[in-house]
Amino acid sequence: MNLGAVLARARVRVVASWRETSWVVGETVFPFLTMAAFVLVYRGLNAPRIYEAFVVLGGAMTAYWNNVLWSMASQFFWEKEQGQLQLYLITPVSRMSILLGMALGGIAMTTTRAVAILLGGTLLFHVPLPADRMLPAFGLFVLTLAAVYALGMILSSVFLMWGRSAWHTVTLFQEPVYLLSGFYFPVRLLGAFVGGLAALLPITLGLDGIRQIFYGKEAHGFIPLAWIPPIEIALFAIFLFLAHRSLLLMENLGKREGRLTLRGG
Amino acid sequence: MKRSWDVTRAATWLGWQVEANWADPVLFLAYSFAKPLATTLILFFMVQVVSAGNATRETFLFLFIGNTFFLYVSEVLVGLSWTIFRDREDFETLKYVYLAPMRMLSYLAGRAITKIATATLGTAAALLFGSLVLRLPISFSPETLLALIGAILLGLGGILFLGLGLAGAALVMARHSMNLNEGLTGAFYLLCGAVFPIEVLPQWAQRISLALPFTYWLELIRRILTGHPYAGPLRGMGDGALIGILALSTLLLGTVALAWFAWCEHTARARGLIDWKTNY
Repeated sequence: MNLGAVLARARVRVVASWRETSWVVGETVFPFLTMAAFVLVYRGLNAPRIYEAFVVLGGAMTAYWNNVLWSMASQFFWEKEQGQLQLYLITPVSRMSILLGMALGGIAMTTTRAVAILLGGTLLFHVPLPADRMLPAFGLFVLTLAAVYALGMILSSVFLMWGRSAWHTVTLFQEPVYLLSGFYFPVRLLGAFVGGLAALLPITLGLDGIRQIFYGKEAHGFIPLAWIPPIEIALFAIFLFLAHRSLLLMENLGKREGRLTLRGG
Repeated sequence: MKRSWDVTRAATWLGWQVEANWADPVLFLAYSFAKPLATTLILFFMVQVVSAGNATRETFLFLFIGNTFFLYVSEVLVGLSWTIFRDREDFETLKYVYLAPMRMLSYLAGRAITKIATATLGTAAALLFGSLVLRLPISFSPETLLALIGAILLGLGGILFLGLGLAGAALVMARHSMNLNEGLTGAFYLLCGAVFPIEVLPQWAQRISLALPFTYWLELIRRILTGHPYAGPLRGMGDGALIGILALSTLLLGTVALAWFAWCEHTARARGLIDWKTNY
């Protein structure tokens, strides 16, 4: 039954992402344009071509981070606003399976956008992505996504309790995280302290590692590449445990305080 | 006229409550400043990372000004269409707005004023940050500020009309078309050379850039604050010509946007889309 719930929740997103033409265009062409603006910043500065590659990889990861924020972290809050959360709660399935379904569906939705950014970057800006390093990069990418979406699961229950401020908090987590996680420049530039704090977000180290796999020393890595996969696995395990705990905690708290549904009139 | 003004004023207050009453003022200010300051610092580090090359302090100043004032474009364009989606699907109040004896345009104007206010907060914070923390040579003399306010008001006309056009599109499109609106803002960010000189663009894209009012608007603001022209293709153009083009394009945009909004509004009502719910 739980597996069915995972597949059902994921399916809604996969079907929805292809149902509307505007969605497909909005998810592929336009995000590419924003990323292209940052590529052109480097081009305008006559920076080495490798920096443009940083932006392209960062742009692809931005898509996943935004999906975690808008479609994982704030999703339960939205579902509460629309009266759908209570339906989840009365079904005899694990809440984690709903979250997992949202995550898998979200990854499927976002991959279209990320692939468009990568393809566009490679074809239009001739950004180098060495084919022989694709497999290890993909491996680290999968680990990173697992940890990032596990973090999204924690945020979804926390944001649910924050109520309307969750909406705005998402904004606080957007551009500042682009900055702190080094989406458009090597995170090493921020220094050990700030970079270390930013490394608590799995996307920071994941992106740093993927750049190191592709570009070696030119990537100006923050920590040695060999450390990154074990850290991502550890973060994934910790975040998943915390997500489970926080979901139970927030559900119980929400039931006691009557905050799982919107009050009428 | 008085009725329209009352509606606009009430909508501004409502917009402010929606934007700001969820948090204490400190948190709200942090939220308002987060985006402009973060993007400023992203650009700062991007310039820093290649500072061994051709990047100079003046280069960053031009990027900084373009990026800072583009906040008006993103806030108002995206904000107005979000207003439609939020009112229609989250608060479910759009239908009541239509039931009330008022014009939607006055209501949207009020909601836009709130967005302009929050954008102004962010822009002012970024300018102060640039001047005081990053020590950028920005002129804040009374004449400069006066000219700046005039240029902002002139540019805001075009931004508002374009926002109105997108709000019209939002009336007939599903919620996830928000990606289109945000993406369109991204396209403007790219094409009007907010963060790089437009001569970096290929020829065909430069032609599109020169057809956008924001390109002239940002150039005008850069000239006011630094005293120097920036975009290569506009160097031969005087400030008066920039103002003329801006005014003309605002008029043109206004005519098209009003007609488009009226059509969208009619279509939404005819198809029963005013209380549509499209969240997945």
